[in-house]
Amino acid sequence: MQKVVTINLNGRAYNLEEPGYDALVAYLDRAGAQLADNPDRAEILADLEQAIAEKCDRLLAPHKTVVDAGEIQRILTEMGPVDAGKGDAAGADAGEAAAGGSSETKAGAASKRLYQIREGAMISGVCAGIAAYLDIDVTLIRVAFVILAVVTRGVWLLVYGVLMFVIPYAETSEERAAASGRPFSAQELIDQAKRNYADFKTNTHWSRHWRRQQRQWHRQWRYTMAPHAWNARAAYASQVWTSATAPMLGLINAALALALVFALFSLATTQSVFGVALPAGVPLWAGFVIVIGLYQLVAMPLIAAHRAAAYPGMPGPMIWMAPFANLVWLAAVCYGVYYGYHHVPALHDAIDTALATLRHTAAEMQEK
Amino acid sequence: MAANEKFAAIRKGLLEFLILKIVSADKVYVADMLQRLASTDFATQEGTLYPLLSRMRRDGLLDYEWQESDAGPPRKYYRLTAAGRAQLAELNEYWKYINATLNQMGR
Repeated sequence: MQKVVTINLNGRAYNLEEPGYDALVAYLDRAGAQLADNPDRAEILADLEQAIAEKCDRLLAPHKTVVDAGEIQRILTEMGPVDAGKGDAAGADAGEAAAGGSSETKAGAASKRLYQIREGAMISGVCAGIAAYLDIDVTLIRVAFVILAVVTRGVWLLVYGVLMFVIPYAETSEERAAASGRPFSAQELIDQAKRNYADFKTNTHWSRHWRRQQRQWHRQWRYTMAPHAWNARAAYASQVWTSATAPMLGLINAALALALVFALFSLATTQSVFGVALPAGVPLWAGFVIVIGLYQLVAMPLIAAHRAAAYPGMPGPMIWMAPFANLVWLAAVCYGVYYGYHHVPALHDAIDTALATLRHTAAEMQEK
Repeated sequence: MAANEKFAAIRKGLLEFLILKIVSADKVYVADMLQRLASTDFATQEGTLYPLLSRMRRDGLLDYEWQESDAGPPRKYYRLTAAGRAQLAELNEYWKYINATLNQMGR
């Protein structure tokens, strides 16, 4: 007994046994990789699909609605491996053969994205990642970074720091492959669109061509903009975003913790927090409890948001929720402080005093 | 005929010529092309033929049109372009020349 998968080949549904389906997917993937540099890739793949569909049709009958795994294997053997269409023609010369060879090394590579690569990293893997992305020796990138750091008198180190936070790590083998893979075929898409448009304009049988055009777009959509590609891009964007917000939230958390220490210290030494004295009749210990409670109230959601941003291990839509939650909390805290500043005199005073203290300390440090 | 390994390169080189010949008669569907080749030494598979056809179309030798079919989606029918016809004539001439050369060289 085999599980059956229903697939859509050029607009018609076919039921395949699961192993057969896997073999078919593998075949089409290999074909797609072989044709990676072929401008008619989408069209050829669609042709192959239709040929496979017709072979399936021949096997099916009213009393037989499923193509079994063995039959798919036979069909694929009949189809034969897809060769890139280079070197099989009369005019194949050495140059063309060489081009075929280089396309083969590129074939099968996924789209390329910028990642930090831990393997062989000096500091964090930023240089290694850039080197893999640009396909240049990592030493050259490192030398360039050092020179830039010297020339900009250290400002470039800040840039490095930012890159360290913003560029995600290549954690899975898929991501590591993407770090040095082929660039996302946006150019390919544009070229294809231009060609389709030119085709469309120059042909007089425009209605027929319009249908063909639509079909091509449809195929293109399936082959180059497949959902998994979008998911990968979305996940990458989300990785960048969370890794950018995580350090920011971390800084805010650290500042809050520092503020707590200052508040407790000043409460212990002067019985007042940033110049606000405890109301008469409130004992000192209650003051501590109130300060710590306030800190918890403000910091807890922030800490949670930071944790979510720093460890985005959540599946599915939660990936989108984490940075969103961060934003909401940042906005909420900002609004809270703003509201408090304008409507709660005590908070207004506290903030003013804190700012004055900061300015004072800064001025003192400058004098020294 | 003995399918000698050494002949593979010759067959490969001649495939494009044969396709031009097949398509020259009438517009052809790929499955029919394969069927005509299947009984010969030039038996070819889809995996090879589709990329070759797409390249020949890009080279301007072939063109195709869509035709509705009774069973399933519309099919691509290939036919020769003017350039394809010229190339075929040239190849025919060249083939005769090669044949003559071979015959002249002895038995």
